[in-house]
Amino acid sequence: MEFSLLGAALLAVAAVYAVIYWEAARGNAADCSKDLWDVALGSATAGLVTGRLAAMIIAGTNPLTNPGDILIVRSGVDTGWAAVGALVALAVISRRETVAVAAGLSAASLAGLGAWEAGCLVRDTCHGTVTELPWGISLGGSEIARHPVGIYTGLLFLLAALGVMWLKRRTQDPLLVAGFALAAVGAVRLATEPMRSALGSRPTGWYLAAIVVGLSVAVASRYRSQRAR
Amino acid sequence: MVLVVAAACSSNGGTIDAADIDALPEATASDIEALLADSERPVVMNVWASWCIPCRSEAPLLAQAHTSFGDDIRFVGIDVRDSQSNAREFLAEFDLDIFEHYFDSTGVIPGAFGGRGVPLTFFFRQGGELSYLHFGVIDERTLAVHLDELTR
Repeated sequence: MEFSLLGAALLAVAAVYAVIYWEAARGNAADCSKDLWDVALGSATAGLVTGRLAAMIIAGTNPLTNPGDILIVRSGVDTGWAAVGALVALAVISRRETVAVAAGLSAASLAGLGAWEAGCLVRDTCHGTVTELPWGISLGGSEIARHPVGIYTGLLFLLAALGVMWLKRRTQDPLLVAGFALAAVGAVRLATEPMRSALGSRPTGWYLAAIVVGLSVAVASRYRSQRAR
Repeated sequence: MVLVVAAACSSNGGTIDAADIDALPEATASDIEALLADSERPVVMNVWASWCIPCRSEAPLLAQAHTSFGDDIRFVGIDVRDSQSNAREFLAEFDLDIFEHYFDSTGVIPGAFGGRGVPLTFFFRQGGELSYLHFGVIDERTLAVHLDELTR
């Protein structure tokens, strides 16, 4: 049995918890009554299950006749549907405080995604496409240098998380924060996707959708707050 | 709910009938060593069984990998500790008869190459040198990187 995937997941969970805890202690928490940690766990679980079911259906495996396959997370989780499942779960759990909760979890989510990507060091899966850059890394027994794309992505998510934390201190507008965070997720994944090896089609459309929706929400929120003044 | 409906409507079978697939030839470790030595292309050898749930899970990925890399890399399946009828049903269900498979009723072949358990995916360079051995279910990114490595 191989536990490296679990190790990367634990890193991500630890990062989410650490940021929620850090922000709560510094008055940077969400203005809502929900327990952010509970919402984060519920949303992440719903996203994981949705993404796994979607990956199975897309691959032609019927989850109703092969329920055991749902547990084989390692063989694929569809990124786009996982994000949709997580966001829907967040909306259902947080109800009337959805925007405040989304803003409250935005930095923690970005940090969690960054830690998950950096977990490639535990899984030995940081390798991307071939590069001639001096910091390229090689697979064991190979001399071919490859982009350490997992590290790039992890660092960019960390940078985005810091950006969201800074934004939360500058503005009282949770919609602006949530929109910025969603756009940041799409932008980071879109920027690093060409450096990842893939077999079939890439989820580029999902990343573009996240950028467009996130930026639209952020711009609309900004426009609305300017008109209210 | 949408996903459940989609699942209920999705077919869970391949495009071919199990009865149309020939019995898998029995092979020994030395047969596979000879195959690797003689192959004019790098070889990806996947060890599977119809009773192995993780194998079911990675089967569609292997079919997709063969579609993308089948011209440059030779794909070989080793069915271990299985029955011929179940093996053919498995291949038909996932349309995996697109590449060659061998039957290893005693399950000794993987051990001869340093593998243990099911599923396993071996990546051999041309000439038979082992490039990488993946234990357990393989994901798309890992498979893609190691396939790319074999083609260079």
